Amino acid sequence: MNYRTQRIAYLFFATSLLLLSLQIVYGFIMAFAHSGYDVLHDIIPFHVARATHTNLLVMWLLSGFMGSAYFLIPEETQSEIYSEKLAFVQWLAYVLVGVTAIVGFHFHWWEGRKFLEIPRPLDYLVVIDVLLFVYNIGMTIWYGKKRTTTAVVLYAGLVSAALLYLPGMIPTDHQTADSYWRWWVVHLWVEGVWELILGGLLAFLLLKLTGMDREVVEKWLYVIVGLTFMSGILGTGHHYYFIGTPSYWLWIGGLFSALEPLAFLGMAVYAVVLAKKGGRRHPNQNALLWTVGCAIMSFIGAGFLGFAHTLPMVNRYTHGTLVTAMHGHLAFWGAYAMIVFGIISYAMPKLTGRKVYESPTAAFAFWSSNIGMVAMTAAFAVAGVTQVYLERKVGMDFLAVQEEVEVHFYGVILAALLFTSGIAAFIWDFIRYGLPKQERVEDVYGTDFIGA
Amino acid sequence: MFSRSQAKAFFLIGTALCSFVFLGLTVDTFRQMPQLTNAHNLSPEVIKGKHLWDVNNCMGCHTLLGEGGYYAPELTKVYERRGPAFIKAMLTDPESMYPGRRKMQAYDLTEEEMDAFVAFFKWVGEMDLQGFPPKPQLLPVAVPAAGQGGIAETMAQPKVFNQMCVACHSMNGQGGMVGPALDNIGSKMTKAELIAWITDPKAVKPETTMPKLPLSEADVIELAAYLTLLKSPTSDPSIDQQEAK
Ligand code: HEC
Ligand code: HEC
Ligand code: HEM
Ligand code: HEM
Ligand SMILES: [Fe+2]
Repeated sequence: MNYRTQRIAYLFFATSLLLLSLQIVYGFIMAFAHSGYDVLHDIIPFHVARATHTNLLVMWLLSGFMGSAYFLIPEETQSEIYSEKLAFVQWLAYVLVGVTAIVGFHFHWWEGRKFLEIPRPLDYLVVIDVLLFVYNIGMTIWYGKKRTTTAVVLYAGLVSAALLYLPGMIPTDHQTADSYWRWWVVHLWVEGVWELILGGLLAFLLLKLTGMDREVVEKWLYVIVGLTFMSGILGTGHHYYFIGTPSYWLWIGGLFSALEPLAFLGMAVYAVVLAKKGGRRHPNQNALLWTVGCAIMSFIGAGFLGFAHTLPMVNRYTHGTLVTAMHGHLAFWGAYAMIVFGIISYAMPKLTGRKVYESPTAAFAFWSSNIGMVAMTAAFAVAGVTQVYLERKVGMDFLAVQEEVEVHFYGVILAALLFTSGIAAFIWDFIRYGLPKQERVEDVYGTDFIGA
Repeated sequence: MFSRSQAKAFFLIGTALCSFVFLGLTVDTFRQMPQLTNAHNLSPEVIKGKHLWDVNNCMGCHTLLGEGGYYAPELTKVYERRGPAFIKAMLTDPESMYPGRRKMQAYDLTEEEMDAFVAFFKWVGEMDLQGFPPKPQLLPVAVPAAGQGGIAETMAQPKVFNQMCVACHSMNGQGGMVGPALDNIGSKMTKAELIAWITDPKAVKPETTMPKLPLSEADVIELAAYLTLLKSPTSDPSIDQQEAK
């Protein structure tokens, strides 16, 4: 690695992959329950499995983002992390809070608000922990030799993600108000500030892997995150259609959220064009595959499948059905899981000095996880569309419909097995890289064009 | 084309404008919310129900206002659909209303807590939700066409029937599939048999899985009267004659 303190990133990446493995276990528990085998009901009932599955997802992605920042910020600022000790303490605290939350769920210690189940006392600890992280990265940028747009956009994303955690803590007794604020966290994260993080990481990888001119890469980065916010902020309205809020959200939310795919389309075009234009062949083709794959899959999962149910006349029927689960999986996978995988793929050879860039396991990891996830999404889609039709159009009873779609969960399970084999290969590769070493691995295109 | 600083300006100005509008709409939404959601009905009991909803993480399996897990029935209109007795039966013993089906978490709730849930569901169900959940339009629930059986078929379907019985029984192809369809039940059972059965199925047939439902005597008689009318034109007249005596 080029900077000694970058090694702290390794801890975050390892944590990330560990939590992902656990998340998958809980995914299987739920998929089996859906297909009629709720065998663990007495130990891990569905709502426990669900809270654990989704919170582990958020935790491993945040851990991945933090690791990415600790890896990337030294490169961008050309300086060491402000305090490696603080970074370590912050990692340890994060893991402790996370483990407590997950264990707590199994004892029904939670808030019972979808995605924000972490109980209030732990919420405060999360906030403190993230503030430490933001402080550490902020000081690194402040004292750094360079202040690049990429670093600033990434940092802006991280800080606003921390700030937007707060509306989720506004106390209220009113179901509608509760839901209103909940979306400030959930929606404004994934369709707002997390996209800044995504954009920053994507720009970094494209700069490093394609050798494109920084001026061009960062100019388009601004355009893309501009599109994100101009559609995504008012696009929050697509969650305010049917929760007891005024009717103007139907057209405001519909209109603006329908524009959200543009930002994802922008990202996909940006990545593909830069990867082609760059022309030069970086040895780490595996990282480039994940990077370009991420941009394309996020357009399909978030942009295309999001658009598919965002207009109010469609959402009236699909709202709160398995159609949403279909979109949730591919969107999270394409946009946020894949970018973390991209960074890990890029970072590992540099962190460990093991200059293995392409391998059959790496290719297998990419293709089977992606094909598996797409197939899983397809199975959710069939189940979801059937559910919408039978329950909301024909008027069949909920449970009768669920029995009709049970069979599609066999499909989910089969696809998930393929997906899991890809993840296993990725983790196997990760382990084979070994631990970080203080060996300098030069940037292929040198660090010289980290200018401006 | 354009420079990086122009792109930056586009980003900053666009974001600021949209945030500003969003904040304005948020203020307005909170201004209108009390009226759209009948906030004046937000009694301490409803608030208690909301609190219980949260601490028990019912949202982990159910959706409410379309938000939550996709494992269990959408509960926004459950008060209207099932009524208080059914909801309380469900919360007392989740196996009671759907024996052997997908499992709900068993809770140990007091009577007041169950009333709080019922009040909460009633309040949620009365919100103005811009047409959600949609009314199924392909096969609307219909009372069997009158004029085929001979007797006074004009009796309206008792409300408890739609709340209590369709969860397990179907009629005209709609409803649950736990018990047999009831389309033609009037030709199979007499009113007296029906009363005995609905009052306490286990007393009639000990091994049955149909639960003893929380119904008043008046409900039972009304249901039995209604069910005896459900017969196909080709039904066996001997039962009618028995009934007449
Ligand atoms: C582990 C998942 C789970 C949890 C948690 C759960 N439920 Fe359920 N619930 C179900 C399932 C599944 C059904 C469908 C009936 C059945 O198979 O038991 C159901 C049915 C119901 C029904 C009847 C709905 C209908 O339309 O017939 C009500 C009312 C209900 N639940 C209320 C609650 C409340 C209130 C809570 C929280 C205190 C709760 N449930 C928590 C799984 C759950
Ligand atoms: C929890 C599910 C459930 C509910 C709710 C339920 N039933 Fe049943 N019912 C059954 C089952 C199961 C049977 C079949 C019983 C058997 O044969 O052992 C049955 C049988 C019957 C029968 C006899 C049908 C036949 O063809 O032999 C009648 C009549 C009946 N139910 C009426 C009702 C009425 C009226 C209600 C509403 C007040 C109701 N049931 C609610 C499960 C239910
Ligand atoms: C590989 C095995 C996996 C399986 C079998 C699986 C299965 C499931 C199931 C059954 C649900 C519950 C839906 C419901 O409420 O009924 C769910 C929820 C969810 N899962 Fe997974 N999952 C897996 C992996 C993943 C991965 C890798 C991600 C992210 C990249 C993910 C993201 C989510 C999200 C966001 C939800 C909540 C969806 C919503 O509420 O709309 N899952 N999953
Ligand atoms: C990477 C970006 C995205 C991610 C990770 C994501 C993820 C999710 C998740 C997890 C949910 C379920 C939330 C809940 O019910 O609590 C959801 C809901 C939804 N998403 Fe996305 N999404 C993304 C982008 C988009 C985009 C760009 C659109 C529109 C074009 C969109 C449209 C919707 C809609 C309409 C719903 C509500 C579904 C319902 O009514 O049940 N999403 N999304
Ligand atoms: Fe959204």
